[in-house]
Amino acid sequence: MESRLLRVNLTTGEMREEILPHSLFERWIGGSGINNWIMWEHFLSHDINCDPRGPDNIFVFGVGPLAGSGSGSGVKGRITFKSPCYGIFGDSAAGGKFPYMVRFAGFDHIAITGKAPRPVYLYICDGSAVLCDAAHLWGKNSAETHLALQAEHGDYPSQTHTLTIGVAGEHQVGIASVVSDASRIHARGGGGTVLGSKNLKAIAVQGSGGIKIHNPSGMLQWSEDFRKLIDANEAIYGFKRRGTLGAVEMYQHIGSHFWRNNQGSLFRGEEVRSDNWVKKYHKYSEVCSADCFIACDGRYKIDGTESEKSKKYVGETFRRPEYLTTGSAAGALDVRDWSEIAHWGKVTNDYGIDNQDLSCSISFIMEMKEKGEISERDVEELFGRPQRLEWGNMDDIEALLHNIATRDNLFGELFNDGPYWGALRYSELKGKNFMKYSIYGKGGASFTEEMRPFPTWMNNMAVASRGADHLKGIGLIEKFQRRDLSQRYFNGRTEAADMTIPDLKGASTALIENQVALINSYGVCLFHWMLDPAGFAPEEHYGPAYADVTGISRTPAELMKDGERICNLEKAFNSRLGLRREHDTICERWMYEPTTEGMYPGSVAADMFETVLDEYYEWRGWDKVTGLQKESKLIELGMEDVAEVLASDRALARG
Amino acid sequence: MSKLPQKELVTGERWFEPGAEIPDVDQKLHALQNQCTDCNICEIACSLVHSPVGELNPLLSRVRINHAPSVNSRKAVHDFGFVSAICHHCGNPPPCAEVCPTDAFYYDPKTFAAIIDQDKCTQCMECVPACPFDVVFVAPDGELLKCDLCGGEPACVKACATRPEMNNVGKQYTRAAVLFYEDSKGIRSIMQQKPEKRDEVGLMQAMLERGEISSSA
Amino acid sequence: MVTIHTQYQSRFREITQVPGETFQLTEPLVAELATTLAKKYGPLMESLLIDKETRELNTRGTMYLDSKGRRIYMEDRLADGETIAFLVGIAGG
Repeated sequence: MESRLLRVNLTTGEMREEILPHSLFERWIGGSGINNWIMWEHFLSHDINCDPRGPDNIFVFGVGPLAGSGSGSGVKGRITFKSPCYGIFGDSAAGGKFPYMVRFAGFDHIAITGKAPRPVYLYICDGSAVLCDAAHLWGKNSAETHLALQAEHGDYPSQTHTLTIGVAGEHQVGIASVVSDASRIHARGGGGTVLGSKNLKAIAVQGSGGIKIHNPSGMLQWSEDFRKLIDANEAIYGFKRRGTLGAVEMYQHIGSHFWRNNQGSLFRGEEVRSDNWVKKYHKYSEVCSADCFIACDGRYKIDGTESEKSKKYVGETFRRPEYLTTGSAAGALDVRDWSEIAHWGKVTNDYGIDNQDLSCSISFIMEMKEKGEISERDVEELFGRPQRLEWGNMDDIEALLHNIATRDNLFGELFNDGPYWGALRYSELKGKNFMKYSIYGKGGASFTEEMRPFPTWMNNMAVASRGADHLKGIGLIEKFQRRDLSQRYFNGRTEAADMTIPDLKGASTALIENQVALINSYGVCLFHWMLDPAGFAPEEHYGPAYADVTGISRTPAELMKDGERICNLEKAFNSRLGLRREHDTICERWMYEPTTEGMYPGSVAADMFETVLDEYYEWRGWDKVTGLQKESKLIELGMEDVAEVLASDRALARG
Repeated sequence: MSKLPQKELVTGERWFEPGAEIPDVDQKLHALQNQCTDCNICEIACSLVHSPVGELNPLLSRVRINHAPSVNSRKAVHDFGFVSAICHHCGNPPPCAEVCPTDAFYYDPKTFAAIIDQDKCTQCMECVPACPFDVVFVAPDGELLKCDLCGGEPACVKACATRPEMNNVGKQYTRAAVLFYEDSKGIRSIMQQKPEKRDEVGLMQAMLERGEISSSA
Repeated sequence: MVTIHTQYQSRFREITQVPGETFQLTEPLVAELATTLAKKYGPLMESLLIDKETRELNTRGTMYLDSKGRRIYMEDRLADGETIAFLVGIAGG
């Protein structure tokens, strides 16, 4: 295995191609693993405490070896950077055909540094790259930019695929996202802000080259076997129809929604509680990226007959909202109509902004108004106009979205880095503590799902390297109460599947973080594994495919070590920034306010939080008091070089 | 002429004199249009199986997925969908072979699919416009690519995943893969399959009629 | 003889065509309920509900909860009047 990295210095306009050698894949697998390493190396020669919106920050795009190789598991591109809104490690994945095409254009990774003197976009075609003027694109939203670039570069030698930022990225709004092919979004962490600060509006790519597969016949056979397993699984047909919207009904059953800034755990409104998306809105199914046996995505087009409110959006077409798009609209903001939820997905995508932080910022101010914490005069001061703040009112919500995405008034300026920084700044301004209304976890990232009954999930929110996040250590063993998985991974013990006790919850987070790191580094989608975590485990099921594609043959135990190494590098990055145990935390509401509805009422995180956190550090082999990595652990993982850097930054624990 | 980055998957070579009677291809590729999700796995598998050096490249595939801006359906109201462009293996002789000035086409003795002999081919591209279905493709290096039916075991069909019963662009589909390798009788029986009773739309309708759910559930 | 109520979601409801129903079981066991369902709704339900190899309740994408929100297993006993929900296990997005 060998691949190529394109280095772009926007300040000088210099571009350089580098070979990523086989040894790098042996150490970091690919995809997000190699992305992390490229960023780590960058900050050995640049100040890690730099302004994330400044030229010293780096933006790395990468795609893993299994992506588009016939693995049938989707193609996920990954962006890695220092997060502007949270100030810590930042990364985010998305599909779209852009990552697939980057590989055919000859690169697996792109690293962007510096700052262009004026707006530019990067055009890559079959191994060569050039910076082009983007004056005509500046001010356009992500979809318009995509269409303009497609028109400009046409269909030869291949279709044009793009990575773009919207208006939010241009305004360097902290929570701005990067959009892949106008519809798939690298939402978390503020990747769009980094590109905006570098004056890079877009990357367009065309490629007619191929990728080399080490053992093509083995790979084809693996692929066919995998397809048969997927086709034989009856439950997956439900997922092929609904995608993550299948979670709406299930979450409604157990009480895992995030309603009105998490004051409740269930959706209101008959329409959104039901499973009728497919019936009313679905027009056809499609894959989000390429190379996927499941194809859970779909497309809608509103014709105005769906509901009274859908008349506002006649003709609108976009991809189906995911669960968290629904969770942020129907949950956090209490929107009760599918056409409005779909529209919310489309506008946040067009602006290029993360709907998690955005919805929590808006629901924060709405709850403040509801609770009488802010007066009409305060509203006037925040918005520079009289502004109704009504739950579920799309006009109000869109007005607030526009304010944040363009930072055009005090509210937009205060909340451009999400609800944590927004609440903190507003509390300072008013001299009163409003933090109890702010929903956040580590680094100030927010999340719209009810998690208080689930100790592993609460632990995820506190320890995930990119800030409050469920995907890095997703607590499937506990949420789905998988006794079989608990037994398999923890020597026959079943406690990990029991959400009422703290045992093995931190251990689950550590285990699954390693597994997810592997999947992200292969460059494939998480959902194939999530649908059958016993059958499609990344270390066992995907191991042979990784060997067929790269020629690197590993045992499951070795692969788990590789995953652990990748997680430890992310942790080391955050430790260098000064993060310690006290930063692995969650907000007041999650910690102390008990849930009142759903199947698990009366749950608060505080009951088990510290015990689970202790256990997490223990299973990680990190120091419990400081939260820092121990030298012995890093040496065990072959990361002596990393330990040396941490020691010189006084970010390494003894032992 | 060609650098031969491709290997044809054939069970043998049969050459016919111009004007000779060539047996028809019985078993062909068929696609249930509008069921396709644009996953590209058929393209991936096709390019991989035809590459002697393990090069995966959708532009070297002999089957292609196209976005269909206006779907050819009786209820073509939504203006989108995907279709697979596949060789129809025309009868006796196929138009692509008929126009070939160097007689570079031979036939697989098992499937009777027309195959391009890359050594004889001068890349004059006469066959490209001659194809009534636009499915003779030009590779980035200029080679002409045409479906060879993989000697009777098409890789694209093996790779194509089953889609659930679904209502796509106003038309109801039964559970099936998109690509099939069937004779005319076989594909007719697949096309005539009624959507399963237990599908999404039928179920909702039945529940509504029985008053078990409200109109929005 | 016990009375057991069931609730169906997603793929389960597509197969049963009802949102829920009530069964009278002679043996108050999950295994009995699973066999009854498999018999009533045929092979699609059987492959969705029961793992072919282990004969346990299928875990690949599905989940079964009692009225307290606890996952149930084949060998569990069922209390009279209990409600069992048949769900799909999806998280995230």
